Amino acid sequence: MERFFQLPWQVPFGEFSLKIDSLSLMFLMAIFILVFCAGVYAVGYMREYQGRRPMGLHIFFYILFSLALVFVVLANNVILFLGAWEMMSISSYFLIVFHDEKPSVRRAGFLFLVASHCGTFLLFLMFFLMAHNGGSMNFDVISHSGFSAILAGVIFLLAIIGFGVKAGFIPVHIWLPHAHPAAPSHISAVLSGVMIKMGIYGICRVLWILGVLPDWCGYVLLMIGVVSGVMGVLYALGQHELKKLLAYHSIENIGIIALGLGLGLLGESHHMPYLTVLGFGGALLHVLNHSIFKGLLFLGAGAVIQKTHTGEIDQMGGLAKRMPVISILFLIGAVSICGLPLFNGFISEFIIYFGLFKGLASLPLLGAFGCGLGIIALGLMGSLALACFAKVYGTVFLGQPRSPSAVEPWGKTSSWMIVPMLVLGALCLWIGLFPRKMASLAFLGGGYLSHTDLSSLNMGIIFIPLSFIISALILFIALMVGLFGMRRIFLKGLIPSVRETWGCGFSQSSARIQYTSSSFARLIVELVKSVLLFKREGGEVRDLFPAKIKLTSSIQDASEKFFFRPLFDRLTSLSKKLDIHSIRYTQMYLMYIFLYLIFLLVWKMK
Amino acid sequence: MMNIIFLILAHWLIVLTLAPLFVGVITKVKAFFAGKKGPSVFQPFFDLQRLFQKNSVYSRTTTWVFRGAPIVNLAAVLLLSLMIPLGPFKAPLQFSGDILLAVYILSLARFFMIIAALDTGSSFEGMGASREAFFSCLCELALFMNFITLSLVSHSISLSTMIGADTSLSWNLIGPALLLVAGSFFLVILAENNRIPIDDPDTHLELTMIHEVMILDHSGVDLGFMLYAAAIKLFIFAGILVPIILSIHAGNPIVDMLIFLGGMLGASMAVGIVESTMARLKLNRVKNLLLIAVAVAFFGFVVKMWKG
Repeated sequence: MERFFQLPWQVPFGEFSLKIDSLSLMFLMAIFILVFCAGVYAVGYMREYQGRRPMGLHIFFYILFSLALVFVVLANNVILFLGAWEMMSISSYFLIVFHDEKPSVRRAGFLFLVASHCGTFLLFLMFFLMAHNGGSMNFDVISHSGFSAILAGVIFLLAIIGFGVKAGFIPVHIWLPHAHPAAPSHISAVLSGVMIKMGIYGICRVLWILGVLPDWCGYVLLMIGVVSGVMGVLYALGQHELKKLLAYHSIENIGIIALGLGLGLLGESHHMPYLTVLGFGGALLHVLNHSIFKGLLFLGAGAVIQKTHTGEIDQMGGLAKRMPVISILFLIGAVSICGLPLFNGFISEFIIYFGLFKGLASLPLLGAFGCGLGIIALGLMGSLALACFAKVYGTVFLGQPRSPSAVEPWGKTSSWMIVPMLVLGALCLWIGLFPRKMASLAFLGGGYLSHTDLSSLNMGIIFIPLSFIISALILFIALMVGLFGMRRIFLKGLIPSVRETWGCGFSQSSARIQYTSSSFARLIVELVKSVLLFKREGGEVRDLFPAKIKLTSSIQDASEKFFFRPLFDRLTSLSKKLDIHSIRYTQMYLMYIFLYLIFLLVWKMK
Repeated sequence: MMNIIFLILAHWLIVLTLAPLFVGVITKVKAFFAGKKGPSVFQPFFDLQRLFQKNSVYSRTTTWVFRGAPIVNLAAVLLLSLMIPLGPFKAPLQFSGDILLAVYILSLARFFMIIAALDTGSSFEGMGASREAFFSCLCELALFMNFITLSLVSHSISLSTMIGADTSLSWNLIGPALLLVAGSFFLVILAENNRIPIDDPDTHLELTMIHEVMILDHSGVDLGFMLYAAAIKLFIFAGILVPIILSIHAGNPIVDMLIFLGGMLGASMAVGIVESTMARLKLNRVKNLLLIAVAVAFFGFVVKMWKG
């Protein structure tokens, strides 16, 4: 399916050419759903800042940002795409630094701006190569020009890095865990749910333009997926700041998407259309699913933080009793993101798994190893994500409040905030139980992306298992209802007594004795502590009568600490050295510009 | 349609009756090794009956999650039991990719178990929950590794076909790989079902346990559901291992059933013997055992790839 829309536009090389196709449709759906839900949520969420902060500016940039997102997906011309891309980056910068009174927020915003422009620089290079080869700035025209294997490889690598910065591939993800917690929650939801997906969209669009690639590209993407996925969830496990943890989970999910795309590419280069469609289709469905459940989780986190005034998980506890609706919605999001059945995360992960198993059986040795690695990684990600979200849900919503601030009275959560979350939660369940509609759209997108004709394929190989899954899940729900009834019958006439939690005879325990998120995750974190740069300080009991002791534990991002920080330190010192030779007069610079202009004129004259 | 419903009900009837017996046999074997007479093999039934009649006690801290977890858990294993073949009875629910549903349904049950343990706010149960989350990560790794090898061996991703319930796996062709898979899978059974040497289902020392400490606060019918689910889960895992090893199809339903029952009896005795002759591992060494299971499974995969 393709629809075009064109308007005259007086920009050199630019044309106002929009196109909607099956690929952009998946991303458009995610944008519309999440931008709308987050916008409605913001009405309730931002009420406390009314009159104290420049609201008009925020709303202006939100609308600009939404428009930019839509144009990024619809643009059919390089100039229009890059313009929308820049608009998206800059407007999202202003949305992130809403709390610009805090230095950490300003720093995070700056990091975001620098990172996204470093990425954009590579994109300029990439689009230049593409347009040069295609002789046009129009995506459709470029896609019909043939690419040599080397050129295609270079463009592919530039796209992976340039768009990967936005998408949050490890190791170029470093802006992401800083920017998400800094932004207001509805903005984090949109950033994580939609904006990082624009990086994925860019990669998809480039893959669509390039057509069949050599098979090493598939392996590269597969490996990026494995590394980002597993490392993302491991970093998340070590976090005890709610939104930072969710940010690292975005990296994990981007890894899952990259895994699907890598599988699709492998299928394409080995001419196995089923693998291609399953890989690309699963990835595209996961794009939509992730934006729904991650949006839900960020909005839920926002509702929690608004009341508790802290993002520290270890300070919370027992919120399920105080905000029952939010707690159930957050649980839906948590179950979905772990890829557990009944909700949407399972469907897309199932499709990717299914494709990987198919690849395992049909690809040559190296490909089979790659698919095996992908399966193992996906399984590991699933169980680690389960541990991570059990930790989050258990510490934030269950148990007893761990700090006094979690017990003080607070008002009801505005229904402006609850209703969009209900919508997102319902969508999670809908796609989880009735996936046919969305899955076929995703496969259409995947087919379009790989220039595969779906009508020649028997899509029953995936739809039949899916329909079996649906009936099994309906049976599962029926079983739960039946067992619930049985429990009712067993307990008939008995009044359960309510006591304290069994403390092994010790009844004077304080709420601080409960397992915290850090202690819950400790076993896993300790196993991989060398990878995570896990650090524990203090906590040893000294002397006979120990005074108050303090224990801090933290994990650090290796790519930030060992790669980017030294790199930028080096760059700073280098530019300081250059600075010595500069002359600090404005007139001098004006003269330089003048001389350069003369040089250009002379150069052009000959 | 009626046929399917009848098959499902028959399957459940067998699983529901045999699963507690399986636990009973293990206890009997352990008693034999300890030189005791031991309770009857039907004792688990009496225990369940007692629990179903009892009243429950709930902690003030808990929410609906605590009450819902046993239901989710039991429903999950009941659904899972439909995916394993029982001798001549084919699995009523089988399709391409059903292992993924099986693994993830189990994960769903585990998720609810863990958060139900955290729901009580007790640090003991938190400890159990944390260990369960950690060990299950390693278990799942070994499980997936084994599934990969089995799927390569059988050219299928449906559980029944993979474990050779429909067509026998050829032991003389790919024996070494299958041996490694069976060995690794046996460790997974012990770990997933919290048996010795990973966890001790009989101790009552809260500091060292995994599964038992997670259900410390459950009582009455909730505890009954949890224990029944645990028994069924053990039965299902043994039911996956037995067809891999005893890959024989006599064709006669009665003989097939006898082979299956014999295999299951052997499996329960094997678990019982391991439990009687080994001590529980120190907790920080459990992960090594599980990593061994992963490594063995990986070697199984390598052997399969090498033999082609």
